[in-house]
Amino acid sequence: MTSEAKTHAIDIAALQRGDRNLNLGDEQITLQVKDLRLSYGDKEALHGINMDIPQNRVTAFIGPSGCGKSTLLRCFNRMNDLVDGCNINGQILLDGDNIYDRTVNVADLRRRVGMVFQKPNPFPKSIYENVAYGLRIQGINKKRVIDETVEWALRSAALWDEVKDRLHESALGMSGGQQQRLVIARTVAVKPEVLLLDEPASALDPISTLKIEELIHELKKDFTIVIVTHNMQQAARVSDYTAFMYMGDLIEFGATDALFTKPEKKQTEDYITGRYG
Amino acid sequence: MRYSVNEWTKSGSPWVWLNAGAVAICVIMVVGLLGLIAARGLAHFWPADVMQATYTQGEQDSRIMGELVQQEMVPADQLRGAGVEVPEGVETMRRDLLKVGNRDFGAADFVWAMDNLITDKAYPEMVMVAERLEWGNFYGYLREVRESGETVIRHDGYAKSDEYLDLWTEFQQRLDRVLEIREQILDIEKHKIGSINYALERLRLQERSLELEQSTDAQAYAEIETQRAELNADYEVLQQELIDLYTQINRDSFVAEIADGREVQIDVAKVVRAFQPNDMGTSDKLLHYGAKLWEFLSDEPREANTEGGIFPAIFGTVMMVILMSVLVTPFGVIAAVYLREYAKQGFITRLIRIAVNNLAGVPSIVYGVFGLGFFVYFLGGSIDDLFFAEAKPAPTFGTGGLMWASITLALLTVPVVIVATEEGLARIPRSVREGSLALGATKFETLMKVVLPMASPAMMTGVILAIARAAGEVAPLMLVGVVKLAPSLPLDGNYPFLHLDQKFMHLGFHIYDVGFQSPNVEAARPLVYATAFLLVVVIALLNFSAIAIRNHLREKYKALEM
Repeated sequence: MTSEAKTHAIDIAALQRGDRNLNLGDEQITLQVKDLRLSYGDKEALHGINMDIPQNRVTAFIGPSGCGKSTLLRCFNRMNDLVDGCNINGQILLDGDNIYDRTVNVADLRRRVGMVFQKPNPFPKSIYENVAYGLRIQGINKKRVIDETVEWALRSAALWDEVKDRLHESALGMSGGQQQRLVIARTVAVKPEVLLLDEPASALDPISTLKIEELIHELKKDFTIVIVTHNMQQAARVSDYTAFMYMGDLIEFGATDALFTKPEKKQTEDYITGRYG
Repeated sequence: MRYSVNEWTKSGSPWVWLNAGAVAICVIMVVGLLGLIAARGLAHFWPADVMQATYTQGEQDSRIMGELVQQEMVPADQLRGAGVEVPEGVETMRRDLLKVGNRDFGAADFVWAMDNLITDKAYPEMVMVAERLEWGNFYGYLREVRESGETVIRHDGYAKSDEYLDLWTEFQQRLDRVLEIREQILDIEKHKIGSINYALERLRLQERSLELEQSTDAQAYAEIETQRAELNADYEVLQQELIDLYTQINRDSFVAEIADGREVQIDVAKVVRAFQPNDMGTSDKLLHYGAKLWEFLSDEPREANTEGGIFPAIFGTVMMVILMSVLVTPFGVIAAVYLREYAKQGFITRLIRIAVNNLAGVPSIVYGVFGLGFFVYFLGGSIDDLFFAEAKPAPTFGTGGLMWASITLALLTVPVVIVATEEGLARIPRSVREGSLALGATKFETLMKVVLPMASPAMMTGVILAIARAAGEVAPLMLVGVVKLAPSLPLDGNYPFLHLDQKFMHLGFHIYDVGFQSPNVEAARPLVYATAFLLVVVIALLNFSAIAIRNHLREKYKALEM
């Protein structure tokens, strides 16, 4: 194998897991990015991105800090709308419909495309109320429905066994890792189609990180997952597809094992072998 | 050891000393102020011993009797200038202030006496002090109790003897009876007749409004007439009851010997409380002290506010502050939310912020004038024209009152609430807002369900500051509704229970009134201290309750410092 000659920054063995004969051409596409340009004021941060995000797969964005990977992620649920002076051109199609269309209700879109942030941000409410929050926003008030959904969401986030006896205690008393899984449960509870994870484990300890990664593996059965990470090992461990971004451009995008073992572009190879970044 | 000033400066010690010194001065000032007003004010209720002595003035000896209030040293020169005989070679002389009471029999109830001229000081056990409804305290020896002018029992001694005690017991029994009857009279006058008068006034207004509408509905007039007749009949009955009670209460009187040896007759009905301070043990005095303190807190003022209690003022102050908080909190919060969350941040919002901050610095009397001109005369006058035409020319809302005072103070304190709330909103982390938005909540839902609850401790801080400022404010209130003596509380049993148009009493104004508008300065002085102390306590209590709420909220929404 030619790869033995290289000093990889990542654990190649992690890639030898599960079905690895992935090909983007065979996948169902959930999100389609078409010539997406984004600028903050005069400064362009994304220079025309084109990519397809496959359904029920984990797609990872990697790249050095400031390359635009989080910015791109935040375009998928229009979180960038909240930033003053942010200007977006191009299209993102969710199941064939442009989410930047004038007629789109942003609140509805965000219900379909959930997001988990870098730092755990539970609300200062009880664990139960945190998970029920999204449901109550949708106007669901039946206690039975909410009870069931809360339990299902907490089980999905592998948190149920740890918190089932203290559902009505404040969420702020949990550990950082638990809080992050609670936030995932909260996002999962509204049953979105796509789950956006913005460096979900960067503020957590190794054990919690491991739990989150296992969780991601479970969740992709039900959701399309897009994850931003600055940790290449993590990208290799959890994702099916990986996109490498650099300075606002998408440099390379393909199946994770292919990208890490046989990168097509020189920049990608330099990055994953740790020559810069 | 060589000691380097330079090194000492570098070590930071002078800085620490400077800070500690500043804190120490603050603490001393606060504790000193509170200590002074508490000591001066609270000592007033202690039953002081009554001194009896001989006072030699010129060639004449006279007997004086009274409480020693104050002693001071006066330069001899000053006394010589005033025509007082001063022995040679003396620099200063002591002068005593005695409260001798008996204002209706002597000239003044406080006299200054040169200490060296007072001899034979004694504290006879049987000296009696009577607090009265009029004319202040009475000091003397009880001699005789009379019923309808006939002597019931009489004793002429000065010592504590069985006969004297019998006389005293007889007097106390009759005093208790009088107090009971007075209670009944008060109940009838204040509550029963009060509500009949209130109902009659409402009927008059109803009739007047019918007349103004030029209604010809004879039945309506007849109905009012029958109701009025009923009320008048009730009134007659009560009036008769009152006359009976007054006859009963005026039955007894007592005779007492005052300091100069005269015997005087006084109606028992005029007495509020009688006691013999020199004969009281410490526990009796403590009981008496408690009773006096309670009277101060729970009773209405007597004798141009120099005696009795200040309950209406406490009630008015607390009521006004609560109403003010209820008005200012939503208003300030809504304004702050708009400024911080919805308004486009730019030149105009900055201008508004500067204006709001400057409003906090406007002198309060300016708000008072504005409140009088705009709220009372303009708004109140318009309200009267529209809704209370039948009561004119007597103003209903077109004169100062509880509502206008509360609104004026709310206006005065709204900048504080706005600033505090804005700061609270700014401190809510972006990540929490984004978390809510990412779940499909709109901006409004995020505000209502997450941001505002999390900012509530900051709002409470604003309310606390507002309360602290409003409760101590006096100047604007004098223009918009506070009076020296309000006949009734703004909250009572007559529909609609809360009378927002009524004038009310206020502790701050009470201090000003008692201290500086009172005809009897010496008598009023301790009350100024007591009232000031109480005002501080009331403000502290209001603040502490607000702080308790805030701490509870903080506990609930803590861990935001992420």
